[in-house]
Amino acid sequence: MRLENRSSNLVDYTQPLSFLFNNKAYKGFKGETLASALIANDVLYFARSFKYGRKRGIIGAGVEEPNALVSLEIGGRYTPNMKATEVMLYDGLSAVSSSNPNSIDFRAMIKPLHRFMPAGFYYKTFIKQKVWSIVEDRLRSLSGFSKAPSETDEDVYDHIFQHAEVLVIGGGVAGMTVALEVLTNSKTARVILVDERMNLGGELINEFETDQSSIQWYQENINKLREYRDAENARLKILTSSTAYAWYDHNYIEVLQTNATGQSTSKDGVQSARKILHKIRTKEVILATGAHERPMLFETNDLANIMLSQSVRRYLNEFNVIGGKEVVLYGNNDSIYSTAIDLNNHKISCKVVDVRAPGNESEVVIQVKNLGIQVLQGFAVIKAKGASRVNGVEISSVENQAKPPQWKSKWRLAGDTQTLNCDLLATSGGFNPVVHLDCHCGGKTYFDENSQSFLAQKNRNNRQVCGSVNSIGFWQDAIIDAKNKAQSTLQSLGELKESSHQTLSNKCFNYFNVDQFFTPIEILNKPKVFIDLQNDVTTLDIALSIREGYRSIEHIKRYTAMGFGTDQGKTGNINGIAVAAEFLEVPMSEVGTTTFRPAYTGVDFGAMAGREVGGFFDPQRYTTIHNSHVESGAEFEVVGQWYRPWFYPKNGEDMHQAVNRECRAVRSSLGMMDASTLGKIDIQGKDAREFLSRVYTNAWMKLAPGSCRYGLMCNEKGMIIDDGVSTCINDNHFIMTTTTGGAASVYATLEMWLQTEWSHLDVHLSSVTDQFSTIAVVGPNARKLMEVICQDVAFESKKFKFMQWRPGIICGVKARIMRISFSGELAYEINVEANYGRFIWDEVARAGKEWNITPYGTESMHVLRAEKGYIIVGQDTDGSMTPMDVDMNWILAKNKSFSYIGRRSFSISALNSKDRLQLVGLLTKDEQVVLPEGAHIISNKGISIGYVTSSYFSATLGRSIALAQLKGGLSKMSEIVLVKIVQEKQGLKEIPCEVSSSVFYDVNGIRVDGNE
Amino acid sequence: MFLINCPYCKESRDQNEFSPAGEAFIARPQNPEALTDEEWADYVFYRTNHKGDHWEQWVHTSGCRKYFLVKRSTISHEVKEVATFGEVKGESAS
Repeated sequence: MRLENRSSNLVDYTQPLSFLFNNKAYKGFKGETLASALIANDVLYFARSFKYGRKRGIIGAGVEEPNALVSLEIGGRYTPNMKATEVMLYDGLSAVSSSNPNSIDFRAMIKPLHRFMPAGFYYKTFIKQKVWSIVEDRLRSLSGFSKAPSETDEDVYDHIFQHAEVLVIGGGVAGMTVALEVLTNSKTARVILVDERMNLGGELINEFETDQSSIQWYQENINKLREYRDAENARLKILTSSTAYAWYDHNYIEVLQTNATGQSTSKDGVQSARKILHKIRTKEVILATGAHERPMLFETNDLANIMLSQSVRRYLNEFNVIGGKEVVLYGNNDSIYSTAIDLNNHKISCKVVDVRAPGNESEVVIQVKNLGIQVLQGFAVIKAKGASRVNGVEISSVENQAKPPQWKSKWRLAGDTQTLNCDLLATSGGFNPVVHLDCHCGGKTYFDENSQSFLAQKNRNNRQVCGSVNSIGFWQDAIIDAKNKAQSTLQSLGELKESSHQTLSNKCFNYFNVDQFFTPIEILNKPKVFIDLQNDVTTLDIALSIREGYRSIEHIKRYTAMGFGTDQGKTGNINGIAVAAEFLEVPMSEVGTTTFRPAYTGVDFGAMAGREVGGFFDPQRYTTIHNSHVESGAEFEVVGQWYRPWFYPKNGEDMHQAVNRECRAVRSSLGMMDASTLGKIDIQGKDAREFLSRVYTNAWMKLAPGSCRYGLMCNEKGMIIDDGVSTCINDNHFIMTTTTGGAASVYATLEMWLQTEWSHLDVHLSSVTDQFSTIAVVGPNARKLMEVICQDVAFESKKFKFMQWRPGIICGVKARIMRISFSGELAYEINVEANYGRFIWDEVARAGKEWNITPYGTESMHVLRAEKGYIIVGQDTDGSMTPMDVDMNWILAKNKSFSYIGRRSFSISALNSKDRLQLVGLLTKDEQVVLPEGAHIISNKGISIGYVTSSYFSATLGRSIALAQLKGGLSKMSEIVLVKIVQEKQGLKEIPCEVSSSVFYDVNGIRVDGNE
Repeated sequence: MFLINCPYCKESRDQNEFSPAGEAFIARPQNPEALTDEEWADYVFYRTNHKGDHWEQWVHTSGCRKYFLVKRSTISHEVKEVATFGEVKGESAS
């Protein structure tokens, strides 16, 4: 319900908003969270738990919330598993529980069985029965939270790179102070101040109710900060609603900012982002991240309306709402007393149950007693009563053991029990400093007995810790601490020579005045004492994991799933460590914490992608001839970012028909192909020839200007990495071609050899892939066509031989014409300066009409080269194939003076095993069956002995052909092997195939001279 | 996400402009054919996997495309030194 006397700094009561929760309409106000608005509307149940389907209410007020998970909106705006405590209300918001507490739930129906279902139950039960694979899907669909989104995200996300000298994470008292101190005492330092909440101030806002000076301090300092932020050439950036979720090496920090509406907004046709991912690089980091309260442990501590004490206080003070009328406060520290005072101010009845014995009381305890609030000291809540919501608590007196062992809880239940009625229970078991970020890249924690908490390691370069994350629980002390840390930061930046640190007052009430964890074994051995509410992990699950032999907290975590899930155990983990310590009989410091890793909170995939979606996902590369292919109706294939024509369907042809037509045209008359995408590297220098013979396996020293040669490139391991034809322009100038996809990596590899090993060679490389357009003219009539379009070159076979090149003028354009072939037919590759590509392509097409010239794509190119047994590196080889494996021993030079790259590896015995996968041809017995690429060849024992790498239907041969890697394949010629495939409607089938040479067509190579 | 000061560009740039290129000071043997299989395998496959300060090769892929040397702590990832080839010698590498 909402308080009658409302005075909130955050909520604007003049702006009512309507929203839907589980399809029911509610009203709220601008400035509050979904959680606050639902508490105001007396909504008790927010969701069901993961495993047992128990109805759960809300326990926290911010990022720590484990229960209140909702999905927002539908369709392209759908967002799963948001914490209701972090969703800012906007008009028309629609939210649904991640797991509806109001519908019938199978998990809840089997409640009597829950006690027989501890951690590991499902897995152990079904894995033994060997039915895990059958039941897994069903079990998984029973449990879990929101469904994954199924539609494309309609929202827009941005990335912003930020640079600063100082990044302050956390905008509470400490964060505000430290930012101001740095700005005031430095003339140059740029500061970014980040806070996950909508407003700066953090927990200080809670003190406004009772401490006038806190309001004054806040107003003064927020105004100073705003002046710095709004100044010309401002050095301060303030990011609110922004969570620093990851700290990577070299002070690189990622911050996710959510805009006020939680959605993309559109103004004047410009869409602004729903979330912005700030990528911040900074010199100094100051953590003022605060602390999360942890709950107390007792039986059925998961009932609705059992909340954290400081969260109750936040709802009360920040949003003026409360979930009950009769409150019991329970804890082991002073923080429950501050909540009691605030409740009393609002005339809400409350009682305090404090496990600590009377005596040695701080001011705040005495203050509460003086207000006439009932305080039961030396008592513990042992059970919350009620079916799904709390309606009372069972309490018992506690006593201190005289001399407990070091690891044992000093507490023991004295057995004197009574019942208190209540409809809201607020607990506090102390505070967990938010040290997560500090641990993301190497920071360690230590257990501090004083504050009963894990703290960040004391000294780290370029990092300071201040405020309650440093276990300082009094706001005026936090200011002193922050000022001291600002000095340390300025010193580290070299802007301050000497620092004079002030000492803390320590005299006043302190949130970190915490007694030991209340973990007497009588409580821990009760069922339904929940540690991790999101994953339904209980104390008994931890006991079980320890009984089963797990000792490390990392193993206990994984066995029980403690701290998994969207909240990452922010409320539960440290209690879990205390419980494990109790069962393991070791001190907490020995148990240690689990590892904190990025991300601190969930990050939207959309935010990670930013604008790099759709057309911006990957660069698209087009040749200069591209538009012609589009006009011809080509289908495209993406090869290493290049859009290459795949095939050119005509008159409603499918791919198969188009490819057959294209192949027949090339073999019978004339085809043309855009080969511009092949990588081209210009190699110059007097040692260019020497360089080529070092990186290729064959001989290059005698290649004459005017000639071309095919080369195979290996790495030092002896494995094929690339192939292509290189052209000798003159003795100091070559042009190497690489595979389309390998161009960048080959270039980088060549540069590496030149820069790191052979810097004495006079060789210079330039990538010229984009500088030339390459048009292949292929088929028996190619020469006739070339003679029409190019008059200054003699094309007769004897004068212009295979593997030669000539300079020429084609339609007035300077060209290099290479006579090389990737199809076995007579072929010329015309290279012209890139911008003439389209012009020459069109001229070739026009002149070729006489021979019915047919443009063909990559698919036909693949069929044509496979018919000839030419490999494609990366398809027929996979980085584990030697030249011997692909039957290319002929390309390994024997007499080179330099031991070329990879050569030494060829003599290693493992690479000469008869049992290696070797490239062979496969001919299916049934000529019409085309094997699927990737299908396995199996032995008569059913074990894989190889696989199909290329497979096509050859229109020329009228049958299917395939290339395959087969164990010892080169010595299995003419043998019959079986290839296992899955056929539609027929299931698994074994296809008999004959092992053959990988050359299927024109074995003697007579077609390369074409028609005279 | 390291910040690397390219010794050619003389600017600190984000890691995603660079590519790692393995351990530094592993010279290609002068005469591979004279090596045993074990010695050759040592050059091709085996690396020190050093804990502590470690010299490695990086290339400024999206920048000047130059290969250079980086001395990096494999514990803290702190970059202690950058150098061009020739500025430091293999023997001085720790």
